[in-house]
Amino acid sequence: MAVSFQQIEERLRNEARRLLESGEVSLMLAWGKGYDENHPMPYVAKCPSDADGIVFNEYCTHNMARYLVRYPRGTRIAIAVKAADSRAVVQLIQEDKVKRHDLVILGIPAYGIRNPKTGEVVDGRTTCGLYNPVLYDILIGEEVHGQPASPPYTVLAEYEAMDKEARFAFWKKELDRCIRCYACRKACPMCYCDPCFIDQSKPRWGEKSPETAGNLMYHLTRFHHLAGRCVDCGECSRACPVDIPLYLFHKKVAKDCEAMFGQAAGMSIEDKPVLVHFRAEDTDNILK
Amino acid sequence: MLKKIAIHQLPDLASGLMGKGTLVAPVRQDAGFQFREITDAKQVDLNYHNTVISPKSVFFPQTEDFVRYRTGRPMLEAETVEPEGKPLILFGVRPCDVKSFEIMDIHFSGTGPVDPYWQARREATTVIGYAFDLSATAEPEEFYRTLGIGAADPEGSDVFMVRRGDELLLKSITARGEALLEAIDDLAGASADDGKFFDDTVAAGRDFKTRFACVDAKAVTKKLEDLFHNTEFWEKAAAACLSCGVCTFACPTCYCFDICDETLFGRGTRRRVWDACMFTDFTLEASGHNPRTKVYQRLRQKIGHKYSYHVRKYGVISCVGCGRCTRYCPVSVDIFSIVEEAMKT
Repeated sequence: MAVSFQQIEERLRNEARRLLESGEVSLMLAWGKGYDENHPMPYVAKCPSDADGIVFNEYCTHNMARYLVRYPRGTRIAIAVKAADSRAVVQLIQEDKVKRHDLVILGIPAYGIRNPKTGEVVDGRTTCGLYNPVLYDILIGEEVHGQPASPPYTVLAEYEAMDKEARFAFWKKELDRCIRCYACRKACPMCYCDPCFIDQSKPRWGEKSPETAGNLMYHLTRFHHLAGRCVDCGECSRACPVDIPLYLFHKKVAKDCEAMFGQAAGMSIEDKPVLVHFRAEDTDNILK
Repeated sequence: MLKKIAIHQLPDLASGLMGKGTLVAPVRQDAGFQFREITDAKQVDLNYHNTVISPKSVFFPQTEDFVRYRTGRPMLEAETVEPEGKPLILFGVRPCDVKSFEIMDIHFSGTGPVDPYWQARREATTVIGYAFDLSATAEPEEFYRTLGIGAADPEGSDVFMVRRGDELLLKSITARGEALLEAIDDLAGASADDGKFFDDTVAAGRDFKTRFACVDAKAVTKKLEDLFHNTEFWEKAAAACLSCGVCTFACPTCYCFDICDETLFGRGTRRRVWDACMFTDFTLEASGHNPRTKVYQRLRQKIGHKYSYHVRKYGVISCVGCGRCTRYCPVSVDIFSIVEEAMKT
């Protein structure tokens, strides 16, 4: 990239200091020092001196949009976002969970971000693969031109080649590993339901124990609840302690949704959430 | 008694052990190593650092049935699930995890009511511990030395294993361990030199370096109590925490569970399922009131429980420094860094 991670870090610190000093925002969501260099962690700067704690390096995978709904409505928040993260912010604005005017968005065009657990580059295989944030007030760095090296849906080829039975067998095998720690929903910027359906006891929608029935109920419902809303940031899969490739299902639904309604989640602030927006020209393929 | 076996003969050792009881050992799975019941001796794999989920799951499985019933039938037809007491051999447990069994015993059989399921499995189990590889450095997440646990402490195991080159040394620590070693055919006698190597390894394990300086449990206990009302400190510590349950599920000393009735197609079970203090509904009361609605309150509870209330009540920190909570945390929340930060505050 034309602008190094270190330069980005420096600019994030400067912007944080400026925004917090001027009182334009009351907090800034970015990344900070973790227990070692390969493990930076989500960070909240609340006063100008906190700005020095901001870190940006190749392991800053976390989608900070996850934390937006944690603060009371009306809190002025500055948020540092990479491409997919910005889509989550847009989607949250569309769903009226945050107000556009309460946010100062610091967009970071980036590629070469790595998963701290595996060291693998996070790209279109496990996320949307975009380089540039879709919405920002302040650009940190320079926009990256050219198409993503790996487009978001190519990874689906193998999965789509499976028939219905094979797909069920695939998901049963993968989901049987689930320990129901709920890291996926907690890391997901779009999972903000309180309470989550799976925690409800009247009625109880799914079993609590990590066995096939409850696991399928939890994951399949969550997958579908994110239809048209998942921004393909890949946080759920990176959060999973037992490496379930959750992103595959989300990508498949996102691809179908895009094909049916011509709209991808969180790409434009002008859009309405696709599944709550009725248009006469909408396809009825979903009913077939 | 000290015996040895060549590493390439591991399957022979495993099948020998399988003849003495159900063998549970580390197995390579899709997402890293896990303790699993061995059905084929070749599955046992010692090329692991540690397992994802701690071996507590062998004595305290994530799901445990107590009663099985059918809906629409008289209650008398419901059947109680009796505790299992079949001989079990738990193979390849790291010293810090062995230590965790002792801490868990406090809750399941040491004080107050005895949990018959835990106790039956515990009593029927021969634990074979395995020293960490001292020629490598500790993983960045680990801090068992901070809590006074060596990388090669044999205490708590019935048999303890140390690797020496291409050989595995096995020493009996208890009478039960000795009886087991005597009953395995493929083991060779070890030399005096092997004995020295074993003892040297145990000693070197006590000097093995993991993160952080050693702690004074009493000072930490007091400090965390004093900090209880310092909301600013806890909010900052919990700023990144997602409040999921990875840390508690992977933890060897977390023992909270919920009792659920789960019924599917007319067949039901009353069972216990692991629960986690990090879950929002963990403290949800029947009235609808929830005393811990905020993430910082839940994280404070978790840390307070392990390093303060537990020490006050039972005299020991409820953590063995295995580092799983930090390693599997999606946002790298590091429990002991928070304790260290508290001590500086």
